[in-house]
Amino acid sequence: MNVLLANIFAIYRRELQSYFAAPWAYVIAAIFWAIGAFLFTIITFSDNGIIAQGQIYDMQVQAGGQLPPIDFAYELIRMFLSTLGFIVLFILPILSMGLYTEERKRGTLELLATSPITNWAVAVGKLLAVVTFFATLILPLMVYQAIVLSAANPPIQPLVFLWPHLGLLLLGAAVLSLGMFISSLTDSTIVAAIATFGLLVVLWLMDTIADRLPGVLGTGLAHLSLLKHYTNLVLGIVDTSSLMVFGSYIFLGIFLTAQSIEAFRFQRS
Amino acid sequence: MIEVEHLSKLYGATPAIQDITFSVESGEILGFLGPNGAGKTTTMRILSGYLPASGGTAKIAGFEVHEQSMEVRQRIGYLPENPPLYLDMTIEAFLDFVARIKGVSAGDRANRVNYALEKCNLTERRKTLIRKLSKGFRQRVGIAQAIVHDPPVIILDEPTVGLDPRQIIDVRNLIKGLAGDHTVILSTHILPEVSMTCDRVAIINRGQVVATNRTEELTTQMFAGSAYELELDGEIEQARTVLSQVKGVTDLEQLSSVSHSDGIHSYWRVRSDAPDAGRELTIALVRNGLHLYEMRRVQASLEDVFLQLTTEEKTEIAERIEADSSPESLNSDAVSIEEGMP
Repeated sequence: MNVLLANIFAIYRRELQSYFAAPWAYVIAAIFWAIGAFLFTIITFSDNGIIAQGQIYDMQVQAGGQLPPIDFAYELIRMFLSTLGFIVLFILPILSMGLYTEERKRGTLELLATSPITNWAVAVGKLLAVVTFFATLILPLMVYQAIVLSAANPPIQPLVFLWPHLGLLLLGAAVLSLGMFISSLTDSTIVAAIATFGLLVVLWLMDTIADRLPGVLGTGLAHLSLLKHYTNLVLGIVDTSSLMVFGSYIFLGIFLTAQSIEAFRFQRS
Repeated sequence: MIEVEHLSKLYGATPAIQDITFSVESGEILGFLGPNGAGKTTTMRILSGYLPASGGTAKIAGFEVHEQSMEVRQRIGYLPENPPLYLDMTIEAFLDFVARIKGVSAGDRANRVNYALEKCNLTERRKTLIRKLSKGFRQRVGIAQAIVHDPPVIILDEPTVGLDPRQIIDVRNLIKGLAGDHTVILSTHILPEVSMTCDRVAIINRGQVVATNRTEELTTQMFAGSAYELELDGEIEQARTVLSQVKGVTDLEQLSSVSHSDGIHSYWRVRSDAPDAGRELTIALVRNGLHLYEMRRVQASLEDVFLQLTTEEKTEIAERIEADSSPESLNSDAVSIEEGMP
């Protein structure tokens, strides 16, 4: 057990190291933060942003209008995180594309495959590392949201703030896990990125298709939809089945990766 | 320590290696010698557990390389054909990483990394990014990662490729220094590499082991059918008669002749199977008044050895090894054998 953890940690450490050494990682981070900041500004401060709407709402209430109660802080989180959930679908394939393709191209897979370390440990270490990197992308966004939301009156519950972000992290982890599997299938980074993006489009469409399909098929498909479960978490609907679905996707990705590397070792000529 | 029996590997329908059998004793260095495409890398990959064999068994320290892969992986250091390096790491960080995944304990790690750095002459460059290293340095980092965890068995696939002559000598000495404590198997297509570093040699051609020998025996065998090139002055017909009558001459060929102011110079290639062919030739020439301008031993190349080994009957080879054991051919000339294989 200790050996296994040490192995996972060794892989994790090496992967993280390479993110810090890679210029493209900084570029991705910069682009993601710029987009995030831009969206947040629009959603919060623009002419029909949350604050403006809140002011109009207050004025109407003061003028004696009978309006349903609206939690604007909650609305802000919901709008921002839903948009982010869409944006990350473009970022995630780029994060996962090199996970195994580089190892295959450089021949370092041969080092890993002949070291006393299991394919599982390698896959788990890699996934943890890339999820960590993804988490560092999200963290600054949480900081400025927290600053803005601290002005909310009445104050928001910490969990209302945390669940959607945990959801974002889980969505990321699930997608990265599948992306990792795809990157284990090819030598080409570009192919891995495009294939992962293609898979995401399918997963995304699944949501729409599920709504139109009748009966069990529709509900079944809806249940598998990552975006649906993400939306639930963003809305604050915390359901163990949602967590299970994310967990299953993550496990599936790791499992398939380990299998594909094992198979690659067998068929390779 | 390493036992390979009837090993074979098919890529689709094409056999890469067929029915390979050899063994390496503990503490020994075995050279795996063959031209490119002979199946050396395939064999190395099977031994390391990276590829499964199609048939036969390979055992390292008593463990079957594929069935008990984890046991084997703990006991081997492996340098693949292309050194497996993470370009974005420094040499030191990379070796530390390898030590970690090879299961070196935290307390030993720094020591082992230092040891590997020192052995491979990398200490001064330890903080350099691997991306910035030349081919020769990268190859040395590749060797360092194969020895960093002090494995009992070390598998090196073409360890001196890409090194300059000075580094080649260093690496050969390094490998020689590993013998005793480690069992080493190295593949190469360079003959002198084997004669200088290995205790024993297995020669592989077209996927089959054509001979396994102690290195000295191989060298003897190579010089057994040695050829000389001569430049003579005098009557061509007379020269032909004299040369053809020298004891042990099996083949005589006139290469060319050139007119000089002092007469005609003729060029000859003489093949002899006498152990002291050089002496016999010179004595005969001097006795018959032929002037010798140049005499040169044509060094056997790996190609010749293969040709010899793959065309002749095995019994003949065995006889020849027994018959010829002239000691002078072992030392002085062994170094300068042509590094001839493309």
